[in-house]
Amino acid sequence: MTRYLLRRVPSALLVVAVASVLVFAVIRVVPGDPVATLAGPDASPEARAAIRHDLGLDRPVTTQYVAWVGRLLHGDLGTSYLIGGDIGTLVRHGLTNTIVLTAAALLIAVLLGLVLSLVTVIADKRWLDGLLAAGNTLAVALPTFVTGLLLVLVFAILLPVLPAGGVPPDGFVARPDIAVQYLLLPALCLSLPTAAALTRFLTDALQTQLREPYVLTATALGISRRRIVLTQALRNALPSTVTMLGIQVGVLLGGAVLVEAIFAWPGLGRLIEQGISSRDYPVVQVLLLLSVAVFVVTQLLSDVVHAWLDPRVRLGGES
Amino acid sequence: MTETLVVRERGATAPSTGRHRLLPALLHGRGLLGLVLVATVVLLGVLAPLLAPYPPNQQIAGANLLGPGGAHLLGTDEVNRDLLSRTLYGIRVDLVVVFVAVPLGAVLGGLVGLVASAWSWADVLTQRAFDLVLAFPALILAIALTACLGAGLTTVAVVIMVAEVPVFGRMVRSSALVVREMPYVESSRVVGASTWWVLRRHVLPNSLEPVIVQLALSMSVAVFLEGAMSFLGIGVRPPSPSLGSLIKDGVRNIYESPTFALGPLVLVAALVLGFLLVAQALSKARAQ
Repeated sequence: MTRYLLRRVPSALLVVAVASVLVFAVIRVVPGDPVATLAGPDASPEARAAIRHDLGLDRPVTTQYVAWVGRLLHGDLGTSYLIGGDIGTLVRHGLTNTIVLTAAALLIAVLLGLVLSLVTVIADKRWLDGLLAAGNTLAVALPTFVTGLLLVLVFAILLPVLPAGGVPPDGFVARPDIAVQYLLLPALCLSLPTAAALTRFLTDALQTQLREPYVLTATALGISRRRIVLTQALRNALPSTVTMLGIQVGVLLGGAVLVEAIFAWPGLGRLIEQGISSRDYPVVQVLLLLSVAVFVVTQLLSDVVHAWLDPRVRLGGES
Repeated sequence: MTETLVVRERGATAPSTGRHRLLPALLHGRGLLGLVLVATVVLLGVLAPLLAPYPPNQQIAGANLLGPGGAHLLGTDEVNRDLLSRTLYGIRVDLVVVFVAVPLGAVLGGLVGLVASAWSWADVLTQRAFDLVLAFPALILAIALTACLGAGLTTVAVVIMVAEVPVFGRMVRSSALVVREMPYVESSRVVGASTWWVLRRHVLPNSLEPVIVQLALSMSVAVFLEGAMSFLGIGVRPPSPSLGSLIKDGVRNIYESPTFALGPLVLVAALVLGFLLVAQALSKARAQ
């Protein structure tokens, strides 16, 4: 395991490092000048120069990059040009909301995926397979912003039973019953593509397992299909499913940007959207880098969990 | 001389390309359904100038946020424009993205994949570059590129191309690595075929089938990405309509006019679903 981590961690760090250079460079070649936005149209050249100096934009690009990375490593994410304030604080506020939303979506997706695929595989009915496949195609095909809008139309406007958006006014802990109402629609909307992908993947993996010789043996011994699936096939189908879930985290992160826009959910997605529209580059570059880092870390984690669940995977070897 | 003859005989066993196998899959079942869905939306977009009752940006006096019906089949928006006309013209943005950006990305990715498969230094370089692009979730990549290029249709097209290059590059590369080891390719090398000749004659035709399936899949992703970008306000610039930006407008007016975005919603769903069904039918035909 140590050898495997020694090999994987540097390459993951390299991806993040290259991404940090790219993110930093991308922001420098942008057409709009943040100084012009900050200073306003009537500012004198001296005022512009002062602002430029305050922001450190008059120094060489390499110096700026090194300074930026140095501050990041010390936990200082910088100061927002326009939204205002310490980016660290902005990110912490947004992060809580985004984590709650994404975790709820992941939970719904895993529950839906497990129940649907287990029921389908255990029942082993043709019509159920067909129904699931059709539902699956729909869930994959309907873009998040389409399902989100339909959910709002049906559950918040036609039958006004749930709030159309926003976060619970009293926070998530004080009134869990109200928090669930606010969380339900956005989390469901975000979870659907992942739930569909997970269901299809797990169903396929379980059905592949059921063709293995050990299942034939178990059947010959008189063990019921349900027990074989629950106690043996599922255990063997899980490792690859975990890897696949790791990739889905990227889908969830991208989806969160959309879901937060539809449901007015003040998370990191909203923050990055605001950052782009107001050309607040320090915010945008930190968030872009953060999303790459999160993605790289989850990939690494899912590989490690995969190896932990499946002793056949030789982490130190070629795999 | 004898050797050449033997080689020719073995060369004749090279598999044929799959075009004849794939086409029938689109003429029945879900393939046909997908094709009909896509064709309908494409036709609506192409014929927009003939079908649209008004110019897409014309403001009609007294028609503010009307519901569907009467003179305005899908209603009107908050600045008195006919939604049916805007929706029909909005399809055209997706047509550009789907039929220009995706194929360009596929060709570019395919070329990179071919080159990567043939030279090992190029392989290492491109694989790492692909890793990097794929480390960004598509929508985050879109945001990064928009920060750099500014919003607009060109940016949407560039985002889709950049996102698709690694997908097609990987695919062509991996099928090239398989084909390269085939006996008939080895044989053609023995008789002195150059790397380029092998790529063009053997590798390219054999990569075609998976590429065609992936094209249909990528087209559905492209519709989704255009919609998502315009929905976030980093896509096509107003006042030009696109399906995504119309949905965004619909969200803004959802209480005053709940049916505002229904037309574009249905069209986006039909396009994405259509391409997905075509891809499923094609990949099923390949597996058989």
